[in-house]
Amino acid sequence: MTRAWVFARRDLKRMAADRRALVVNVALPLALTAVMGLSFGGGVFGKKGISAIPVAIVAEDVPESMRTRLLEGLEKSGFFAPVWADSLAADTLVRNGKVAAALVLPDDPLTAFFRADSLVVEVWKDPSSDIKAGIVEEIVGRGVLRVQAGEAAFRALWPDDYMTIGADSLGLDGLLEGDVTDIWTRLRDPGQTAARERAFDFLVRQFDHQVALQRALQGAAAGLAVADKVPTGQEEQRETSLFDYFLPSFAVFFLMFAVAAGARDLHRERARRTLQRQLLGPGPAWPIVVGKWIASVAQGLVMLSVLLGVGALLFRVNLGPDPWTLPIVIVLTCTAAAGFFLALALLVSREKVLDNLCTAVILVSGMIGGNFLPVDNLPPWAAGAGRYVFNYWANLSFSRVIGGNEGLSGIATPLLVLAGASLVLLVVILVLFNARVKRGGWA
Amino acid sequence: MIEVRDLVKKYGSHKAVDGVTFSVARGELFGLLGPNGAGKTTTIGVLSTLLHADGGQVRIGGHDVAAGAKEVRRLIGVVPQEIALYTDLTARDNLMFWGRLHGLGGAALGKRVEELLVMADLVDAARRKVETYSGGMQRRLNLVAGLIHEPEVLFLDEPTVGIDAQARSRILELIAQLGRQGLTVIYTTHYLEEAEQLCDRIGVIDRGRLVALGDKESLISQIGDADLIRLSLPADRHEAFRAAGAGWPGCTGIGERRGKLEVRTPDGGRLLPVIQEWLRANDLPLEQLEIERPNLETLYLTLTGRGLREDAP
Ligand SMILES: Nc1ncnc2c1ncn2[C@@H]1O[C@H](COP(=O)(O)OP(=O)(O)OP(=O)(O)O)[C@@H](O)[C@H]1O
Ligand SMILES: [Mg+2]
Repeated sequence: MTRAWVFARRDLKRMAADRRALVVNVALPLALTAVMGLSFGGGVFGKKGISAIPVAIVAEDVPESMRTRLLEGLEKSGFFAPVWADSLAADTLVRNGKVAAALVLPDDPLTAFFRADSLVVEVWKDPSSDIKAGIVEEIVGRGVLRVQAGEAAFRALWPDDYMTIGADSLGLDGLLEGDVTDIWTRLRDPGQTAARERAFDFLVRQFDHQVALQRALQGAAAGLAVADKVPTGQEEQRETSLFDYFLPSFAVFFLMFAVAAGARDLHRERARRTLQRQLLGPGPAWPIVVGKWIASVAQGLVMLSVLLGVGALLFRVNLGPDPWTLPIVIVLTCTAAAGFFLALALLVSREKVLDNLCTAVILVSGMIGGNFLPVDNLPPWAAGAGRYVFNYWANLSFSRVIGGNEGLSGIATPLLVLAGASLVLLVVILVLFNARVKRGGWA
Repeated sequence: MIEVRDLVKKYGSHKAVDGVTFSVARGELFGLLGPNGAGKTTTIGVLSTLLHADGGQVRIGGHDVAAGAKEVRRLIGVVPQEIALYTDLTARDNLMFWGRLHGLGGAALGKRVEELLVMADLVDAARRKVETYSGGMQRRLNLVAGLIHEPEVLFLDEPTVGIDAQARSRILELIAQLGRQGLTVIYTTHYLEEAEQLCDRIGVIDRGRLVALGDKESLISQIGDADLIRLSLPADRHEAFRAAGAGWPGCTGIGERRGKLEVRTPDGGRLLPVIQEWLRANDLPLEQLEIERPNLETLYLTLTGRGLREDAP
């Protein structure tokens, strides 16, 4: 093994001196990830992936304290960068494309709330504008659905209250009109005792029900579409970002090229006669090819670690639930890749043939192995064929750990496949290389 | 030290080496001279254990190259015809690697590497990548890399190919120095001059066969001390010259090479006036006449009927 290290060390030294390879292997995948990630949403300063979408909020009748809370809620959701506007300004902002959409809360939402009228949130967007407006609509739509679900539940649970909810039927006449101060003044009027009691009764029941509903719906605050998006008690759950997919799939894709180049070096060394010169050394020949394998693995380890590390810093790519799962995936991916391409190099007699073969193999296995499409979205035929290429199992592991935040137990199968393939390939390499040495086939 | 008997190496049905026999004594500088494709590299390949012979026997230091490859490798150093170095590494890194390959390490390795850098006159360039070197520098490094483990036998496969005259003479000097230090050397070349200048004994190889073997003097005596007289004539007079020459005493043959007529004779001094007389009688100029004492080139021509290499110096 010390001898294998002599060879590996030499290759690592050569790799370190090769600036172009450094750029291709590290800078290029990062750049591609950045380009892809940014163009499909997300940003260097993005929050959990998708960058905050600028929206205008029109809520002219909402009291100041509620505005502040609404603003905080929207910002905290990470989806929105809200600005306040009156309806005129909001209209202009949308038409100028300064915001993706405007959310318009109804006039006098408090009254609507007390009357249990349904709260209609309008979304203004430029129909020709980009997908972001669509995202806003979708999110708000879901919030509204949630509220509607709450209403349906309310009706089912407390039919009496729902029936009598109309403020008029309670004889609250005009008691709940106007803003908070008006309501407060009226409720404090000594001549209104009966109405006040009814109103108090009504309010308390409403609040009872709302609180019960909120609990049932995990804190859905009625009428606030966005509050819906930050379910309390579920803060642990991660938002998956596009970088979580792009980074590992680019990393594995470029890893294949880097490792293929390392394997091709075996033929280069033969052409340059450095391989023959090594065969003249004392001792057995196998450390030569094991050294190449080690160097390939080490290069892959550095490459993937740097890529994922930088990805975590720049794009907040998730590094898995614990500190050991991802490193294990990285190691097994590299050993399988190194074994695969060295075996390929040993099966082929000439560098030119290997070159073309590698390119074809990388493109095809990239396609069926999930480097161009997420493994879970692969068409069935591709996923079926993908089982026979190592990168499928690597991509599967990465997507489970990075995207799904799963630990070792969640990726036992792909890891076993990668480990088994690595071992078998290593044996294949040793056998092929030694057979060729015995034949004198390297001279 | 080296014994080669009836060596045969085939590539498919083509015999690249066909029954070669020679031996090299300890401390001897042996030249293997032959044109392109003669089988020099193939012979070195078998001697250095990389290629397996299809017939015959090779023993180095008493060990059979097939059965005792391990022991043989310990004895030999090989300098391949190609620049078998990592051109993306520095000279020092290269030598360090080749040293470690041979099990050297620590201070001993460092010391040996510095020695070789001095020997190759590459101390100043040692920190530069080999790809930035001139052809001569690369050749010198290629050579000393074969010496890292202080072998007793050195195989040099055309170590001067493709470099200019000045760089070549530096390498020849280096090899002569190694010879004086008692190293056993097999030196292949297609440059006649080099073999003449450097080697104690020479084997001439052509199409896989050893066509002559011996020290310089004995080789030359093999062609009967022939002198060679060269002259240029208009093409239409060649026939007449050949006809006349057939009757001259001491003329053993008339050939033609590169447009010149070549007359072979054991004694050029006697035949020369006869030729001059004929030229004068035929109104032809005398200036083109030249006489050449026997050397390996004439030997080679005699043996193979071909020149060594068109661009030979
Ligand atoms: N790997 C090979 N496969 C087939 N034929 C080969 C191979 N190597 C050499 N030959 C043939 O064997 C013959 C001898 O080649 P070799 O390389 O030994 O010649 P050489 O004397 O070293 O020539 P050069 O001066 O060009 O180096 C040539 O005809 C060559 O074409
Ligand atoms: Mg050769």
